[in-house]
Amino acid sequence: MKPWRRSVSRRDALKLLSAAGSGLAIGKWFGTDAAVAQEMPASKPIESFTGPGPNPHWNSVGPYVNEPQKAPLILLTDRPVQLETPRSYFRTAFTQNDAFYVRWHLPGIPNRVDLAEWKLRIEGNVNKPIALSLTELMDKLKPVSLAAVNQCSGNSRSRFQPRVPGGQWGNGAMGNAIWTGVRLRELLDAAGVKAASVGVQFQGLETGPGPKGSGSNVFLKSLELSDPVLDEAVVAYLMNGEPLPMLNGFPVRLVVPGYFATYWMKCLTWIRVLSVPDENFWMKTGYRVPDTPRGNTTPEAMKAGGVKTVPITRMPVRSFLVSPDVGSKVPAGMSLTLRGIAFSGYGKIVKVEISEDGAKSWREAQLNEDHGPYSFRTWEAKWAPKTAGNYTVAVRATDEKGNMQPDEPVWNAGGYLWNRIEKQEFVVGRAD
Amino acid sequence: MRFATDTGRGLLRLWAGALLVGAGSAAFAQLHSGSYSATKADSLEQTVSAPPSTDGNYSVSPFPSVAPKLAEGEGRAETESFCTMCHSTRYITMQPPLPPATWEAEVNKMTKTFGAPIPEATAKKITSYLQSHYTAENHKQ
Repeated sequence: MKPWRRSVSRRDALKLLSAAGSGLAIGKWFGTDAAVAQEMPASKPIESFTGPGPNPHWNSVGPYVNEPQKAPLILLTDRPVQLETPRSYFRTAFTQNDAFYVRWHLPGIPNRVDLAEWKLRIEGNVNKPIALSLTELMDKLKPVSLAAVNQCSGNSRSRFQPRVPGGQWGNGAMGNAIWTGVRLRELLDAAGVKAASVGVQFQGLETGPGPKGSGSNVFLKSLELSDPVLDEAVVAYLMNGEPLPMLNGFPVRLVVPGYFATYWMKCLTWIRVLSVPDENFWMKTGYRVPDTPRGNTTPEAMKAGGVKTVPITRMPVRSFLVSPDVGSKVPAGMSLTLRGIAFSGYGKIVKVEISEDGAKSWREAQLNEDHGPYSFRTWEAKWAPKTAGNYTVAVRATDEKGNMQPDEPVWNAGGYLWNRIEKQEFVVGRAD
Repeated sequence: MRFATDTGRGLLRLWAGALLVGAGSAAFAQLHSGSYSATKADSLEQTVSAPPSTDGNYSVSPFPSVAPKLAEGEGRAETESFCTMCHSTRYITMQPPLPPATWEAEVNKMTKTFGAPIPEATAKKITSYLQSHYTAENHKQ
């Protein structure tokens, strides 16, 4: 203990002793504590929903919930399960498995899979249908690994104006992992795709009680056979070097680098080569975006009809400020480090810029390690606000194709493709 | 493939039993899916799972089911019975306030597009309930 502390505490002890006689000073001490308590910021429960304006929070507003094999995550819906990853998990380039967001469409989600009978089947318009056990997938085919971002098509849907129905995600319906598995192309080649095939359909173990042939019975997605992404797609049995959590698609899930997560079929079990275009609900009606720049349209145009739509595919460029969080009041004159992530479904991130004045002027941030074109790329930038006041920090990214995030919102009926520049208000306080 | 739900109502079981014939449903006798258990909201207590066996079975505990409180009013019982055939009512409480026409379109989507077997008069009642409690004019925190 330093000498001055000892002397202070002795003085305080003497004060207390002398005050004990009168009782007045004791009351003053308690009174002081009460005054301090009143100055403390009160915390209150977050809203149970947001709207009709945009959700003002970084994440969605649901309660935290414990699901099997998961850390406490933000609950959007419990049946089927939809969970959002809290902001602080994005401080690193890779998102840990137990914090990785979860999105299912139908209530029949596997609680148990028996690998003694489970097999991955490649069937349909092929020369030789095949069925492989997990052991065969791991032993007979060459393993490949890649880093890729998995982002829900509706990530940030709660930013839309006017609001649209659907999962009211904040920004946390995304994650990045190293996926290890086998190339989809090798599996297709092993079965032998017949001439005149047009697409490949994917089905997992997700089911619902709806009538057969409807979107509420089974979740199906497909990719066109001519899509070059088929050469990059991987059937993954490892996620960050671990088995996939059941809620993220154990035992294997499809990885479609650069594409929105709707194609990343969880618990993938059937790979079906199609001789006719896929007309199932999840292709023909669901997950479609206007065939316009950024998938942008208006409620009026939708009402009038005639807006041509196409299946959603690649993820537009995005970037996020992850820390400091909005809860931090910053002392003026302090040299801070702003940190965040950026990614694009169109190729690697080549530039991240930050603005201290609400997206008026920009300067480049430092890009950290490159884990590949479809990975999160972390960035950082120094920021030293000199005077007390309110600041709006903004961040924008540019990918190798020259796509740069715009400051304009996007609107479509599905609540898809949001990639507006992110902004955050900071309160800078006096340091003296 | 079995469809099991701990929170399921009789109606759900009936419908599921009659219609759940997903492709390849006979392929995996040991697949067990769609099991949910009731729990309270904000369930941040630590949980622990039973030790696994060394066979080929990989399983997780039932997914917690966290029923939200719906606004009181005419049509709430029908909403709770029929909507939960496929999804929890958190799908309702999570939404931002939506215009009456949007709620009508949502109920129509469930019956016409997704084939939910809801009698027309009941579907109208559910629509009216949602329009009376979950629009910008009447949805309160």
